[in-house]
Amino acid sequence: MTASRDPDRLIHAFLGEGLDELPDPVYDAVRDRIETTRQRAVIGPWRTSDMNRYLKPGLAAAAVVVIAVVAFNLLPGAPAPGGGPTPSPSVSPSEAEPSTQPSTAAGLPEGPHVLFNFQSLEGASVQMTVTIPAPGWFGDWGSGILLKNDNPDPPEGSGMIVFAGVEDLYVYGDPCAWSTTRPDTPATTVDEAVAALAAQASRDASAPADITLGGYTGKAITLHVPDDANLADCDEGIFAMFQESAVSGVDGVSRYAQGPGQIDEVWILDVDGLMVVIDWAYYEGTPADDVAELRAIVESATFGE
Amino acid sequence: MQATLVDQARRGDAEAFDSLARMVGDRCMGIAFRILRDADLAEDAVQTAFISAWRELRSLRNPDLFEPWLHRILTHACYAEARHRTRWEAGIRLLSVEPVHGLDNTLTVDDRDQLERALRRLTVEQRAVLVFHHYLGLSISEVAERIGIPVGTAKSRLHHATRAMRASLEADARSSTNQERMA
Repeated sequence: MTASRDPDRLIHAFLGEGLDELPDPVYDAVRDRIETTRQRAVIGPWRTSDMNRYLKPGLAAAAVVVIAVVAFNLLPGAPAPGGGPTPSPSVSPSEAEPSTQPSTAAGLPEGPHVLFNFQSLEGASVQMTVTIPAPGWFGDWGSGILLKNDNPDPPEGSGMIVFAGVEDLYVYGDPCAWSTTRPDTPATTVDEAVAALAAQASRDASAPADITLGGYTGKAITLHVPDDANLADCDEGIFAMFQESAVSGVDGVSRYAQGPGQIDEVWILDVDGLMVVIDWAYYEGTPADDVAELRAIVESATFGE
Repeated sequence: MQATLVDQARRGDAEAFDSLARMVGDRCMGIAFRILRDADLAEDAVQTAFISAWRELRSLRNPDLFEPWLHRILTHACYAEARHRTRWEAGIRLLSVEPVHGLDNTLTVDDRDQLERALRRLTVEQRAVLVFHHYLGLSISEVAERIGIPVGTAKSRLHHATRAMRASLEADARSSTNQERMA
């Protein structure tokens, strides 16, 4: 066989042939659609591992503003930014309207706090409200993140992050070798998601347990980052837990660990057909009171539209 | 330039996203057409991919990775288009009648016919690996990363796809030889 009849060359030549021009009407159609399609706000991770510490608050604040603006614009009857109600001191926390104010230097006021407000393009919406039981908790309206003393890092940090409206959860087979262990098919139910987390390498997972939170059922599982884990040895220096949605893509890790020894209590609920993933995390060195407050915050969750 | 546009688009600048789409649209069409073998489906897949990319753009942490990220979205859009077509036109397979560009003179009409038929018998996932490997010239590990699959899976898909394509050419060659002997 001559070189020109080499099957591999022929296959290569064949795949080189074809259309290579996208017609203008497609660009026009895209332009029309994006004018009416909102960009999805991104929640978390808390921090990127290599971000300059002094840049973090500014970037976090910018992200929160985006999320809050989106949420304000989408929430029916939401108060106008800057003019929202604040809890009256004379009203008990359980009766108070959720605060719409951002964290101050002193943290959130005790009482109800809207952790997130999610609205899908298809119109499904869910809002999660928790009760802040004590001073020192930081987070912003709708950001999906709460941190004790604004510190998620070992050895004493603690906090929670919530992913709402999750349809597809790609749980990496190995959080350290995550770039090559992303499954082809995502978990699309609570049971599948928890089973995938339970099977994740090196996590020393607890047995999944049934839970009910805010009237919705789900599963809870406890995961660990090994105490001796050297995150620098992991792909891109990240110990990655999962990717939410199919299109986060090459660069789309949704949740990764802050450091060795991190304990993740992952609660996954089925809220009207969409998953809500609540990850509350702490360390062996986290004060017991902080962990108790964190648990109380999670257990106070209510859901509504 | 591209990274700057990505940054602007991430802040909701539709004009910037339009410019970005026009920079990468032809290549996306090339990929989608070669995977789907149908211009209308390819245009639909590219359109879907662009809209998904706009919607999810804030989840892209590194603007320099916009095009690989978009290609992964596009691949999934192609899978969805192919499955949609499969549901609605089960069992019907038509050879492409699209005008093609860049015809290679090493290929005969029979070669094209056999390769087209072989390609259409592959799964859309196998076709995607072939296209990223041959059309974009990516290595297996790059294909795996681009599509978002393990390297072993990419290898396996490429192996099976290439074997099927070779087999179709070899069968055609044997058939031609037999006809010549009988003549």
